[in-house]
Amino acid sequence: MSEVPASPTERRTFLGIILAAIGAVAAGGFGWSMFRFLSPVDRGGEESQVRLERTLVAVGGAHFFAFQGRPAVILQPRAGEYIALNAVCTHLGCIVKWVDESQEFLCPCHAGRFSSAGQVLGGPPPRALATYPVTLDGDDILIG
Amino acid sequence: MKKIFIRANLLFFLLIFVGTLPAAAVTDVCIDCHGGLAGQLGEIPTAEWQTSIHARHRISCHHCHGGDPTDYVKAMTAERGFVGVPEHSEVPAFCGQCHVGVEEDYWESLHGQVIDFGGPNCVTCHESHAVQVATIDLINEISCSRCHSYEKPALIKEEISATEAMLSRLEASIASLYRVGIDTGHLEDELFATRNSFRRLFHSVDIDKIRAETAGFDADLEQTKATIDELENTLGKRKIAGGALVLLLLLGGCIALLIRRTYEGHE
Repeated sequence: MSEVPASPTERRTFLGIILAAIGAVAAGGFGWSMFRFLSPVDRGGEESQVRLERTLVAVGGAHFFAFQGRPAVILQPRAGEYIALNAVCTHLGCIVKWVDESQEFLCPCHAGRFSSAGQVLGGPPPRALATYPVTLDGDDILIG
Repeated sequence: MKKIFIRANLLFFLLIFVGTLPAAAVTDVCIDCHGGLAGQLGEIPTAEWQTSIHARHRISCHHCHGGDPTDYVKAMTAERGFVGVPEHSEVPAFCGQCHVGVEEDYWESLHGQVIDFGGPNCVTCHESHAVQVATIDLINEISCSRCHSYEKPALIKEEISATEAMLSRLEASIASLYRVGIDTGHLEDELFATRNSFRRLFHSVDIDKIRAETAGFDADLEQTKATIDELENTLGKRKIAGGALVLLLLLGGCIALLIRRTYEGHE
């Protein structure tokens, strides 16, 4: 039994289906990468909050903790008033330390100084420390 | 049209020039006068400073020596904060104006405790004007043997060398990630903070303290490495996906050619 060769129309249909399939896979791959590229970056639970006990932060003192995987600090400049800040110096990324005597932050790397509100007081830092929202919940403080 | 283009170009370069003027003005006064003087008051420190890490980061004469770099007449007056050349024992506080953390560890170290008896200060190892990016090579037999035997420094160097090597590898990895367009800001910050704290540690020249705390730094570096590995892994996957896409397009092209050939008999 001899095989009947496929007609040009049949071959075109067959090849057309393969081409369409390849096009669909390529378009899908391209579309997926564009979607991933344009999607907001996953910052590891940006919405998550940190809960701390109020007793951890003395009036005029500071308490360091981790917020969204980064070093952060909370202060109580006056009784009942809390400020939460990113504790990473905006110059080169060292972790600032709190100086009780002067009530300001000092970066041990290049002597950048920040106020208790995170504003630059001196040294090389180009901008203020980022602040985080703080809310009170009974005996706890919610950051973020 | 051509004239407008030339004028726009001129304006662009003029703006760039004007933009650089304030930066240039900062160093002019000190370098203008001292750059022309011979010896240790002029050409030597000026030339040395120009090769330094400080010059690269625009840390100029007045940042350490005080004074006013914008005023020829009052540049070197106490009124403008000029402090001149520090005494041997004043050098740590001089450098500590910026390097506060290292200064703290230095004073606690044996080096700091013997400074009034001629012990080493910052510039003994780091140089004064030709100060370079610090590396582990600063601990070497020639340098340390100027004051004492090399036995203890060799132990310290051995203790920190693996962590230092890891730091260098991670720096190189971050640089290559940056070159391919990855936002490495957080990684750079993390690594800089770890590197700075680690280098503070060995300024203590206390072998027991260094031994006890090095493991903590290694753990921090492992975390940074894990993030870098993850990014490199993603990049690898992207390369494979890109290659597959190119192959698909080539295959699509071949099939389009075959489809074209099905029309040839009918032409």
